[in-house]
Amino acid sequence: MLSSLMPRGLGRAPLFAATALAVSFTLTPANAEMNWRAADGQTINLMLISHPFVESLKPLLPEFTAKTGIKVTFEELAEQSGFEKLLADLSSKTGTYDVFMTSPLNNWQYASAGWLEPLDPLIADKDKTVADYNIDDFIPSILSAGRWDLTPLKGIGEGSLWTLPINFESYQLAYRPSMLKKLGLEVPKTYADLLAMSDKLALDGPNGKTHGIITRFDRYWDLPYLTFGTMLQSYGAEMLDKDGKLQICSDRSVAATTDFITLIKKASPEGAGAFTWYEAMQGFASGQYVFSLNEANLFAPTYEDPKQSAIADDVGYAPTPLGPDGKRAAAAWIWSLSMNSASQHKDAAWLFMQWVTTKDTMIKTHLAGNMNPVRQSAWDAPEVVKLMQGWGEKPGQYIEAAKTEAEVATIRFPPHPELTRMLDRWAEAIQKSYFGQGDVKTNLCEAQEDIQRMLDE
Amino acid sequence: MTKPAFYALLGPALVLLLSTTYPFLSGIYTSLTNQKLYTPATKFVGLGNYINLLETPLFWTGLANTLTYAAAALAIQLPLGLAFAILLDVPGRLQSFFRSTIVLPLLVPPVVAGLIWKTMMHPQSGVLNWLLAQVGIEPLSWLTSPHMAMASIILIDTWLFTPLATIILLAGLQSVSGEIVEAARIDGANAWQVIRHVKLPLLAPYLLLVALFRVSDSLKSLEIIYSTTKGGPLDATRTLHVMAYEEAYRWSSLGKAMTIVFVLWLVCYAISGVLLSFWQKQEAKSHGQ
Repeated sequence: MLSSLMPRGLGRAPLFAATALAVSFTLTPANAEMNWRAADGQTINLMLISHPFVESLKPLLPEFTAKTGIKVTFEELAEQSGFEKLLADLSSKTGTYDVFMTSPLNNWQYASAGWLEPLDPLIADKDKTVADYNIDDFIPSILSAGRWDLTPLKGIGEGSLWTLPINFESYQLAYRPSMLKKLGLEVPKTYADLLAMSDKLALDGPNGKTHGIITRFDRYWDLPYLTFGTMLQSYGAEMLDKDGKLQICSDRSVAATTDFITLIKKASPEGAGAFTWYEAMQGFASGQYVFSLNEANLFAPTYEDPKQSAIADDVGYAPTPLGPDGKRAAAAWIWSLSMNSASQHKDAAWLFMQWVTTKDTMIKTHLAGNMNPVRQSAWDAPEVVKLMQGWGEKPGQYIEAAKTEAEVATIRFPPHPELTRMLDRWAEAIQKSYFGQGDVKTNLCEAQEDIQRMLDE
Repeated sequence: MTKPAFYALLGPALVLLLSTTYPFLSGIYTSLTNQKLYTPATKFVGLGNYINLLETPLFWTGLANTLTYAAAALAIQLPLGLAFAILLDVPGRLQSFFRSTIVLPLLVPPVVAGLIWKTMMHPQSGVLNWLLAQVGIEPLSWLTSPHMAMASIILIDTWLFTPLATIILLAGLQSVSGEIVEAARIDGANAWQVIRHVKLPLLAPYLLLVALFRVSDSLKSLEIIYSTTKGGPLDATRTLHVMAYEEAYRWSSLGKAMTIVFVLWLVCYAISGVLLSFWQKQEAKSHGQ
């Protein structure tokens, strides 16, 4: 279904591209004996990061225990504190967490340190992996984003597979149809359109004044890597150019940053300089904003749920706006599961990872709010299609926006164990400019110098 | 002392010495390396981390934030704690009620206090801005403006820790002998004069004790800041401790983190040393030596 949407022949493959750097496995023979009860009686401990995936997984855990005899305990923490605790545990090699939620970005550090169990040998072992696991069913570029040969700044999609994807997000423009109607405005197609309407977006609502735009804007890596990163990449600005030179203070990057700050200043409320993803999601769901700009498309199930949202019957989705050259590019975030190399229960851990990522379990999680699917068969599953079909101003709007975005969504950053530190520094430069401490160009160039130093270290 | 007794006492003393000095010295050693959590290849870099740190503009911002936080916390909490202590020292029917309620904030873990205040300080949905709106005052960006965030953090710290100052100073006031106060009254001193000329001078060691506790605690404060602003917006509340925490747990750089920690220790040690010497002088004075 999706392959028809995929661009061909790109050097770097967007998420849905069939031409991605996938390494295909020879699947286990059909007569292989794999025993789901091979680790009966063992207990595994998970580190889970708060996310709709976790909510969708919890009710399914008794099924896993019934099937395998393996007891599952877990800790669930918010993103930042979860990763901090995980780092403390992984570095001490105590093996407290057998399996944990992670992402390619985090894994570039964990894999360098030897804290991750490579998964290829397990997948290839017919005694350990069920015959119909079908690794080729994963969208190739999403799977291969978890593969890295440990070479700094390159080698993504090559070498060992460190992680199995459980969902992926890209970004979208969510909007309130009723508000746009009241304002007499259309959904913007380009950033220029959005800029032109940015000072006309305030309205008086029943619960006080409403604002134009909400998006996360904190001083952390997710700003240039994900949400603002999507705008940046649509302006043609990436962290490194083809020759490996930093492009943080290039003209395109300066233009994107200047426009982003203008948008926030004109259309966001006080406090916009400290919004996290959670506040961005809650803020838009509360009905106080016309647009949620370039936020995660997997917030849609929250917006659509009347229990969690005031806008369930009044929300629409569009692809992120086009850049000045009519180009659209988007970032991607892939939540994944990895195994701790210090785990004392690797067989049980693998059974768990395998069970979560089978087609059946994945579909159950998607139906309970874990978006977006990472298996082709899950995208094709009628019950999943039916669920997503209803999201948006008109039927199929969410799927259409998500697919349009997925065609151009990929990780356009070099793998490096300290990439988050570099991106944090980048985000600081953007925030400095927003708070009026120096001009955009100077701030970005200073950040670029610092980041060059980090790369040289 | 007999030989067996000497050795029996030497053992625990050595254990105590080693258990405190070893981590400390190992921390200093780490600060002289480029140790990172994710790589076993650790190099000795001498004073490299210290030189880099001093050359980083953010370090000076962090140091200034750390000192501002501690100085402001002390400058507000000492007089406020004293005022509460004096009020609670006045005999009255409600005294025991207020004495027990004023310590309630001390029972709240700082992270929880931070989260409670963060909710109350939310620019759109927080109760503080709602209260301001009731009296016609424009909403404030409590934690989200670089100009206000530090003041808001200090406000939270004040709510949480003024009771500590109050308790210590109240204990001090109650240790003032009734006879001295009585004697002053007979000599014609009014209530204010009793406080100013009798109680306050006798309270000096207690005031220094509060200063010592609050300064060293607030120089090292992390929980309130991390649960509210995480050092932001921008770098407005980034103290040395926040910087060290980020180096270690966001970026895995133990060498750099320990460098900041050691500099912070030096700052704490120097300031506490000065306060301690004042305290010892006061102690000596109050014991008539």
